[in-house]
Amino acid sequence: MLRTLVYLDADLASSIALRYACQLTRVIDMNLHTVHVEEPDKDGHAPGTGWVRRTWESAMLKTGEFEIAQLIKAEKSSCPMLGAPKMLVGDRENEILREIQRESYDLFVEGSLHSFTAKKLYDKIHSRLYRHIPCPVIVVKNLVDLEKIALIVRDEVESKKLISMFLNIFSGAKLNIDLIYCEFQEPGKLSFKGKEDENKTISAVEEILMVNNWHPENCRMIQGSPEEIGDVLRNYGLVASLLHHSISKKSNWFQLLCHIPSPVLICWQ
Amino acid sequence: MRILVAVDQHPYSAHVVKDVAKLAGNTWADVTFLGVGPKATDIGRSSNRAGIKHPLTEKLRNYRRNFLDHFEKEESPYEKRLCHYEFVEVKKGVWEELYICRGARKDLKIVLRSGNPVKEILAQSQEDESDLIVMGCYKKGGCQWEGTVNLPQKVANNALCSVLVIKEEKKIHKISCCLDQENISQKSIEMINQMVTLYQTELEIVGLTDGPALKPMVEKNLNAILKYYNARQIKAWIKLVDADSLGSFISQEARRSMMALWMGEHSLLSKIFPGGKVEKLIQGSESSVLLLR
Repeated sequence: MLRTLVYLDADLASSIALRYACQLTRVIDMNLHTVHVEEPDKDGHAPGTGWVRRTWESAMLKTGEFEIAQLIKAEKSSCPMLGAPKMLVGDRENEILREIQRESYDLFVEGSLHSFTAKKLYDKIHSRLYRHIPCPVIVVKNLVDLEKIALIVRDEVESKKLISMFLNIFSGAKLNIDLIYCEFQEPGKLSFKGKEDENKTISAVEEILMVNNWHPENCRMIQGSPEEIGDVLRNYGLVASLLHHSISKKSNWFQLLCHIPSPVLICWQ
Repeated sequence: MRILVAVDQHPYSAHVVKDVAKLAGNTWADVTFLGVGPKATDIGRSSNRAGIKHPLTEKLRNYRRNFLDHFEKEESPYEKRLCHYEFVEVKKGVWEELYICRGARKDLKIVLRSGNPVKEILAQSQEDESDLIVMGCYKKGGCQWEGTVNLPQKVANNALCSVLVIKEEKKIHKISCCLDQENISQKSIEMINQMVTLYQTELEIVGLTDGPALKPMVEKNLNAILKYYNARQIKAWIKLVDADSLGSFISQEARRSMMALWMGEHSLLSKIFPGGKVEKLIQGSESSVLLLR
């Protein structure tokens, strides 16, 4: 059973992420755990040690606990498996990372609303948490129905890694998938090529999937600018892609990732 | 709801009639078709005897016909009233012959005015207390009307109510809705709802951020709006745009989406996006534009 951790704050992004994660539980055999980290004021330090510090921490936690409990209560009826969240105090990224390592989670889910500018996602991908995270991540940008998944394939070797990760997570699930090969070009020339236009990478990946009882509904190549391709991918309930930590802000792959409004499953390279 | 449809004799005006009919069918709105043309003193006489001289009268009648054709005769709220005596059971076993009028539950007016078109359209909208002014325009050449420079832009800038400028022959795939979420009316949300239904399209709700995050109040409202549309089975996307990037976002997005901007009196958008920029948006936009007030 897949062990999934959902990070929650008392905000819209977390509410969307939680609702999306609950949707996931209906198609994947998984355990859902939630966590919230209460961060001390950035300019202030924790007061004292021992009893003083513990009292201060528990007062802080109580403040956050109520808001997070409200968030969970709202979803509990549609997602009965939701339990009480784990409440931690400290640096958000460090605490989440420690929690994931300690409990060996298989998947991390968090909300981050779709943004016009790339900075937010870029900072996230280059954060300490994402650089060291040992499992794949789903960044939920919008709440969409999980009906169809797009697997973005690049070269054969990289794609094999993505497929193996995908199979780990979605083993036994009944979902429709499409294989997408992207070719970037200037805007204004968006075009699609189907299976008949031979593409070795797509064929090789399709074969692996079929061996594992997954039959892609469509295998297609999309040619266009990152913005145009991102717009096409809005029709999917999840877009899975492999990603380098060192990806540059100006690269087409990163730009594509930014322009996809749907939730994105990031498998690290 | 009362809709004012400003028209002339050119194809872009004929194009809006179909959309207005659909919108009116969904909202049961009172509708006024307004033509502004040359001075109209002898229309009544000329149409009776010597044939129609005024260039707009026949067009306006055509628009009315096309508008009414959209509705099934029996169900049309604009069908003429038919009155007759009819026995009605007023209480159990007691029948009374009453004078019953059926039809024309909603008002459809055709008005012709002469003078400065911008002033006349605005004057009619105030007299009617319109909720929405609808106009068409040529897609090419920066959204123009024949004979009056920047007419849609001037009306959009000066109207007290919401304005919808429909560009000719453009399929709308998405409505990108920049709402000032700190201050938003139910009427505006309903208007967007109507547009989504009218064009059968997706909706993108744009949240303005001031710095890295949304203000708590904006976030709360955004959540409520999202839930409102989700409950109505309307696919709604959220996109965050920093106030500093709003200009470039709108000019980029206007190429492929219908833009809906909340320009109310207390709107932050109306401060960021003053009159001159609205004119440019209507001119430069590839798609239709809706200004909500």
